[in-house]
Amino acid sequence: MSSFLALLQRELRAYFVSPLAWAVSTFFLFVQGLSFLMIVSFLSDPRAAGEVTPFVILFTSFFFWITLIFVTPMITMRLVSEERRSGTLEILLTSPLSETQMVLAKFCAAMIFWCFLWLPTVLYPLIIERYSDVDWGPVSSGYLGVLGLGSMFLAVGLFGSSFAKNQIVAAAATFAMMMVFFLVPWFGSLATGETLQLVFGYADLLSHMEDFSKGIVDSRRLVYYLTTTALFLFLTVRAVEAKKWR
Amino acid sequence: MIEARGLTRRFGDLTAVRDVSFQVEDGEILGLLGPNGAGKTTTLRMLTGFLPPTDGSVTIAGHDLLDEPAVARRELGYLPENVALYPEMRVAEYLAFRARLARLPGRERQPAIDRAISGCLLGEVKDQIIGTLSKGYRQRVGLAAAILHGPKVLILDEPTVGLDPKQIISIRELIRDLGRERTLILSTHILPEVEQLCQRVLIIDRGRVIAEGTPAELQGHSDLSPELVVTLVASDGTGADAIEALTALEGMQHVSADGSVTGRFRARHVRDADPRESVFRLAVERGWTLLEMSQRRPSLEELFVQLTTAQGEPTEPAGALSQGSSEGVASETEPSDEVEPTDDVEPANAEKGEDPQ
Repeated sequence: MSSFLALLQRELRAYFVSPLAWAVSTFFLFVQGLSFLMIVSFLSDPRAAGEVTPFVILFTSFFFWITLIFVTPMITMRLVSEERRSGTLEILLTSPLSETQMVLAKFCAAMIFWCFLWLPTVLYPLIIERYSDVDWGPVSSGYLGVLGLGSMFLAVGLFGSSFAKNQIVAAAATFAMMMVFFLVPWFGSLATGETLQLVFGYADLLSHMEDFSKGIVDSRRLVYYLTTTALFLFLTVRAVEAKKWR
Repeated sequence: MIEARGLTRRFGDLTAVRDVSFQVEDGEILGLLGPNGAGKTTTLRMLTGFLPPTDGSVTIAGHDLLDEPAVARRELGYLPENVALYPEMRVAEYLAFRARLARLPGRERQPAIDRAISGCLLGEVKDQIIGTLSKGYRQRVGLAAAILHGPKVLILDEPTVGLDPKQIISIRELIRDLGRERTLILSTHILPEVEQLCQRVLIIDRGRVIAEGTPAELQGHSDLSPELVVTLVASDGTGADAIEALTALEGMQHVSADGSVTGRFRARHVRDADPRESVFRLAVERGWTLLEMSQRRPSLEELFVQLTTAQGEPTEPAGALSQGSSEGVASETEPSDEVEPTDDVEPANAEKGEDPQ
């Protein structure tokens, strides 16, 4: 446990001393700021429908998907590939730390950084609350979706990083894998047969976030995120182990 | 104590290491010697568990590396080739990280870090960022991190490569100190390093062990004949008849003039013969003034070149040597006094100054 915490702490520190992390969070907050602008202009529009919560925008707009797609690979791309390139992986793998612990520590660090990025956006509903009513139910379920999708894509990114020696290759591979997740519902629309369409429909991430932002928490979706996260973390461990054999 | 049995490692069709076995006891320093690409790093990586062997096993302080990796790794300190460190961390901070990574209990951490810092002479840079350190300091940080948790077995992959001569001397002293109480394995292609540090040497070429023994044993059992360096001033000023006269002496094989100094000759003679007396008598007889006469065993360097360039039939020199080293153990006590004096003569030799560093 002590070696797990040691690595987790080191990873977190590495995020906050690297200029990349600050560039990423600047980009992130800029884009989320645009979301906030949209929320405010929505609220000040007298024609807006009363029953829709404006925070749907925060979790389903174009800006949300842009940050998810661009920011998660940037968080994860250096995690394993950098250690492999510099040779420090050799130190980690010859220490009493197991491969699984190593991968989990890196994933946890990425997850904490993801939360750190989203933390300032909690200010948006807090600010709005001073001038208008905020329904905290849909807001918190929206954040649940952020955590779920985030963990899934961070795991995918960690896997991408585990087989590439170069960070850019890692990010590109992650990007390609993420695209597959978004293309799944499109496959569904091509599929013939009701069952197939239904199955592919379940995996439609855009509709997931729409529901989460409206306060609908479907446990099947959470299970989907968790199992996908677990699968990719498992694949990462295997990839790290397999590299030793080749 | 570390034991390797039948270590073999294949990368696809390439066999990088083939059936390497050895055992190193506490307090012993084993040198792994070989040309670049001989399989030294692959062997060390298998010993540390970074690379699993295709075949064979490693036992560290009684724990099998594959069966009980966590326990075995705790007894292991490893300095990889090209010392990999996290450049953004400070020295003390990095050592603290490594202490926790090695699962050192909380209250033992600070004393261990202090000990490693003073042992590796890192006091003045302990608050510096690693990325700003010179190569020598980085090497020492790597070494400090490797010994931090008091491992019983220490494995160093080319610990002095890329250092300046002063740094090399200090690192070697440190290694010698470290080797007193633990099992130490180091790889290198620098021969004087092996002669100075190691009690035992394993010469590896193309993935196989081609020779094993103490540096003295290896020198004593090489096929190369010993050499006598003679410098003389002949009153009549001719060198040609000196070669002839020296060659005529009993036990002489080949005499040649040394190009660098007039009047210096290099005389190879059969291993059992000691022609020094007859050379002296010859000089008196001819009226030569003898300026220098020193005997030198073939250096590890020559042996190394001879062994590693024996292309084509690798079985032949290997066979000859394994025979030689088994003999060497039996006769170890006797020839030791024959080897010692040669070392004393050694400084007189110009060859000594040509340390590859």
